[in-house]
Amino acid sequence: MSHPRAASDHPPRERVRRTLDWTLPPEPVVREVIEVMPDHPVPGRPPLLFVHGAWHGAWCWQEHWLPAAAAAGWHSVAVSLRGHGGSGRPERFGLASLRHYEHDVLQTITTLPSPPVLIGHSLGGVVVQGVLERYRSAPAGVLVASMPPIHGLQALPRLLRHDPRMLAQALTGREVTPRSATLFGPGTDPANEADYLARLGPESWLATQQVALPRRRRDIRTPLLVLGGEHDVIVPPYAVLRTARHFGTRAHLFRGMGHQLMLEPGWEAVLRRVLGWVDATRAP
Amino acid sequence: MEDEARGRASGTAPATDDATEPQPRLEDRRGRTLVIGAGSSGLTAAKNLRERGFAVDLVEREDRLGGNWNIDGSSSRVYESTHMISSKPFTQYPDFPMPDDAPDYLHHTQVLAYLQRYAAHFGLDELVELGTTVEQVTPLARGFDVTLTGPDGTRSARRYGQLVVANGHNWFPKWPSYPGQDTFTGELLHSADYRSAAQLDGKRVVVVGAGNTGCDLVVEAAQRAQAAFHSTRRAYWYAPKYALGRPADQVSDAIFALRLPLRATQALFEATARLVVGRYERFGLPTPDHRFLETHPIVNQQLLYHVGHGAITPKPDIDHLDGDEVVFTDGSRVAADLVLFATGYLIRFPFLPEGLIPGGGRPRLYRNVFHPDRDDLFVIGLIQPDSGQFCLVHWQAVLVAAYLELRQRDPAAAAAYLDAGRDHLDERSQGGIDLIDSTRHHVEVEHADYVRDLEREIRDVEARSGGTRPVRRTSPAVVSAASPAAGTAEVSM
Repeated sequence: MSHPRAASDHPPRERVRRTLDWTLPPEPVVREVIEVMPDHPVPGRPPLLFVHGAWHGAWCWQEHWLPAAAAAGWHSVAVSLRGHGGSGRPERFGLASLRHYEHDVLQTITTLPSPPVLIGHSLGGVVVQGVLERYRSAPAGVLVASMPPIHGLQALPRLLRHDPRMLAQALTGREVTPRSATLFGPGTDPANEADYLARLGPESWLATQQVALPRRRRDIRTPLLVLGGEHDVIVPPYAVLRTARHFGTRAHLFRGMGHQLMLEPGWEAVLRRVLGWVDATRAP
Repeated sequence: MEDEARGRASGTAPATDDATEPQPRLEDRRGRTLVIGAGSSGLTAAKNLRERGFAVDLVEREDRLGGNWNIDGSSSRVYESTHMISSKPFTQYPDFPMPDDAPDYLHHTQVLAYLQRYAAHFGLDELVELGTTVEQVTPLARGFDVTLTGPDGTRSARRYGQLVVANGHNWFPKWPSYPGQDTFTGELLHSADYRSAAQLDGKRVVVVGAGNTGCDLVVEAAQRAQAAFHSTRRAYWYAPKYALGRPADQVSDAIFALRLPLRATQALFEATARLVVGRYERFGLPTPDHRFLETHPIVNQQLLYHVGHGAITPKPDIDHLDGDEVVFTDGSRVAADLVLFATGYLIRFPFLPEGLIPGGGRPRLYRNVFHPDRDDLFVIGLIQPDSGQFCLVHWQAVLVAAYLELRQRDPAAAAAYLDAGRDHLDERSQGGIDLIDSTRHHVEVEHADYVRDLEREIRDVEARSGGTRPVRRTSPAVVSAASPAAGTAEVSM
């Protein structure tokens, strides 16, 4: 169980003015939304909205978590951010920013029957942090191997040592060809890994920079669960710990797992932890 | 009714109009807040108060929520062709954007659908008591007694801790009075009673007033009526709905964002208007007698088009009516079948005792929200922004919720906040602009200025709350900040 502490050293600062959103609202795109309804819905439970990370799409949740969560009685939804998966790619995708991704998630939220729990992986975790700041009705948020708040610089040295080619590709906005050990923990079936790596797509150059470079502190008041993998080299355990400390909660690391907590063997335990925590957090 | 209410203000139990009727039992709901009206303002008030853990009741007189946007409602003032004047990003609630597949400017039916989805998403459609009219509010030393009539006509009385008034301000028609109005042989209509362009078919129509409604109506008249005349008291700036291929308000906000001195901003706007629209004089319209931004902006791209095609004849103010003729101040006369007054609305709170809202028709409320002397009465949505409404009202509601949180946590600090605000009742968030004196400007706010003020107020109230993270209804127990456990990892499997 996590125990959020009052982050009294950082008073909340509501952000009311969003000039960019008023003067340059994100252009509409067609969105891929994958929705799995439970056979036996449990009344009162919020929907779950999954947000993938860089280079991925809603497919990474469809593999295991969406059907498993639905089977456990949760209305489960995953969205592909613009330029990812089956969603439309805007003309200048390289300049799509976190603001555009947040827009895609917010638009998906408005189609749901009630405020969802937001679950973000990697870069999607940063998107979820941005959405939680402006959408305070979410009952809970889950950061799965999320890129850290404020900046991602602390995650770079390890990746530089481990897979410099991928780091260079990521920072220059090209398609990435990671070594499989960069994304996956030691226990993953190589055949599956190759299949997943083949499905990676392009990522916005600007969004990658935004995740790496210093960002404004987000004012989040939603209970958060922070998860990571022991062998993750993209978001290494110390980065997960810092994220948890930033939000005044505790980190949960999963032994033997890498960055892809929803695709690697052991995903059942991670999902179980997520669903159990959401249920406990909702209870008055 | 207002006089009666004042007479009874000292009593404790609310009275019914009919003395023979049995007194309804007073239901104690002091732990709850009553939001009056489930239009765009009442909905967001209820949503934001509930989000911060406050118990809310929401009553709506009509059978359907939506307020002004519920065209079947008795106080709705939309007509069949009503579209939004401000584009989506300014109008939408900031945490519930209007759909991507909706156009830049929504039709009123799309706005209603949007409000219904907002209500459903946040569970307000289960909360709202439809068909329930607030008959009378009696202020107590603390809290209010409220008399209501339910959908089946039964009366009830409840005692509430707080009241949020969100009854709207664009529904009570303001009629002008011209000499000869009583003996005019044609039809006189206020835009409040205008629904459909069929009301104009084949008539000679004089539209009075150059608000956004007046301009909409005269454009409709140009297409449907036999002849259309547009009478305006003064010369206005007509802003386009699109500039540089984008919704014009998005372009103009880029100008606002530069935060130039007012004169420079006005000069930029006027230059843009000249560039996009051209010289009004060329269309036979008078030169604007005031600088840009000094009146509520009129956004209409079609008016000048129809003037240029001879379908609309601009006219000055009406001098008097004479039989079947309208006589203008320049001495010209026009035979008319219909005079359509788009002369605006007056602010009314029919269920509140007179004087409860200081200033009455020109309310004196701190930041258009707070009552100077009561910490349990809030007015939401009583603004006339030069931009979208819902977004601003959302932040008003957040401010009220933050204030109630502060009041609960530290009553003295909450009182100090109101004390500080009492000296600033005449600050009107109008961006330093001298607005022309007119009833339409009594609650006018300049949206960029107002949003900045609301942001400052919310941060001020939350800082007075002690700077601690507000504990939400759903958040688990809070452990002390010095907890050594924070930051340690728990390894699973």
